[in-house]
Amino acid sequence: MKPLLYFLIILAGGCSDGGIGAKSNDSAGASAGAGTGGSMARFTVAGNTLYLVSSTTLRAYDVKDSRNPIPGQETKLGFGVETIFPYGKNLFIGTQTGMIIYDASREGDPRHLSTYSHIRSCDPVVVQGNLAYVTLRNGTPCGGGINVLEVIDVSDLRAPKILKSFPMQSPHGLGVDGNVLFVCEGDSGLKLFDLTDPINPKLLQHLQDVRSYDVIPSRDLLIVTGKDGIYQYSYADRKTLKLLSTLPVEPPV
Amino acid sequence: MPSLRNSFPVLLLGAWLLLDGCNHNQVDPPTANDTREVYRPIYSSYEAVRTIQTQAPRAIRQAGKIYIKDGFLFVNEIGAGIHIVDNRKPDKPVKLSFISIPGARELAIKDSILYADNAVDLVALNVANPQNVRLMKRIENAYPKSSYPPQRNVRFECPDSGKGLVVGWIKSEDKDVNCWR
Repeated sequence: MKPLLYFLIILAGGCSDGGIGAKSNDSAGASAGAGTGGSMARFTVAGNTLYLVSSTTLRAYDVKDSRNPIPGQETKLGFGVETIFPYGKNLFIGTQTGMIIYDASREGDPRHLSTYSHIRSCDPVVVQGNLAYVTLRNGTPCGGGINVLEVIDVSDLRAPKILKSFPMQSPHGLGVDGNVLFVCEGDSGLKLFDLTDPINPKLLQHLQDVRSYDVIPSRDLLIVTGKDGIYQYSYADRKTLKLLSTLPVEPPV
Repeated sequence: MPSLRNSFPVLLLGAWLLLDGCNHNQVDPPTANDTREVYRPIYSSYEAVRTIQTQAPRAIRQAGKIYIKDGFLFVNEIGAGIHIVDNRKPDKPVKLSFISIPGARELAIKDSILYADNAVDLVALNVANPQNVRLMKRIENAYPKSSYPPQRNVRFECPDSGKGLVVGWIKSEDKDVNCWR
């Protein structure tokens, strides 16, 4: 019965503007609003605005009508812009020279709040509460630098302050959810940290064989992308990662 | 203190570096025995680039950005498109389809509309039915043309716009190339 039901829902969706998600909670489709990307994302949806970062600019598109994005304001950011992470009413932009915070409370009209600078390196950023977690990675294509995880106090968005810095191996993307932090160490594996003390991440697990690039943690499910596959883990117990599945990445033909 | 006369060639070189779009700061120009990696552009016609298709699921070969929305997982195939995965059972993900989007490296979703870069364009795709993804809007030339590879400190074949649109870069064995960054 169910497959038939889905089929009918799909048919119904195809005839109108909505699609399967709009028709039934039971179906495979999308609910209203934005989804969730990883820390390395250059596209993000906040409210009714789609933000895109290029290497030098932040571009806003009005997506109040999601089917009809309308180009909006373009903001110059400088050089080496890499990632954008929305949190609350703000945008946290990772660049090769630091982190830039914009107030995005006015739709499509972001206002610069602060620029936190550090030495040149690759650096995605994620935020939780009053803390930003930033990884800095050494080596090409990001110039010199060091391999560290920084914990930055962003309680005053106009004056971010570094609190701690921890050595890492080759940190790429990262993710935070409550009292756990995940750091992709590239070819050096995947790390799970306990954040009971949020300024002192404590290493709980290091999966050395999981070559990882970025993560999305959401509702006890960690999705990891890397050179060898898309791995999914449960972190329900907040202590260990339990592998649920792997979508293999196959060698080039 | 260098004299103006001595610094003139340096100034000239500086001006030339600034003006030349191939070259970026902090990287040495090529030498006779340059061992840096060499890349060459992958060209495509505008018509081919602007063709977006829903295809059967295919192998993931170069996984890029990931995105989740409700029970779906979207995986970028770097420069080629997006895999749509039914992930309502994370222990048994099922690949549903592949959306071929030449040049795509980024994605985000609002409602059932997926935004992706399609080489120089931004596209809005309705993914409500993963088996039949439909183009809702194309914003042409939302991005500048790719004039150099994303890698740094490499040499590359200078793009020739007469050959079409540059949709990517691949490693090349050709050592006789004139651009670098």
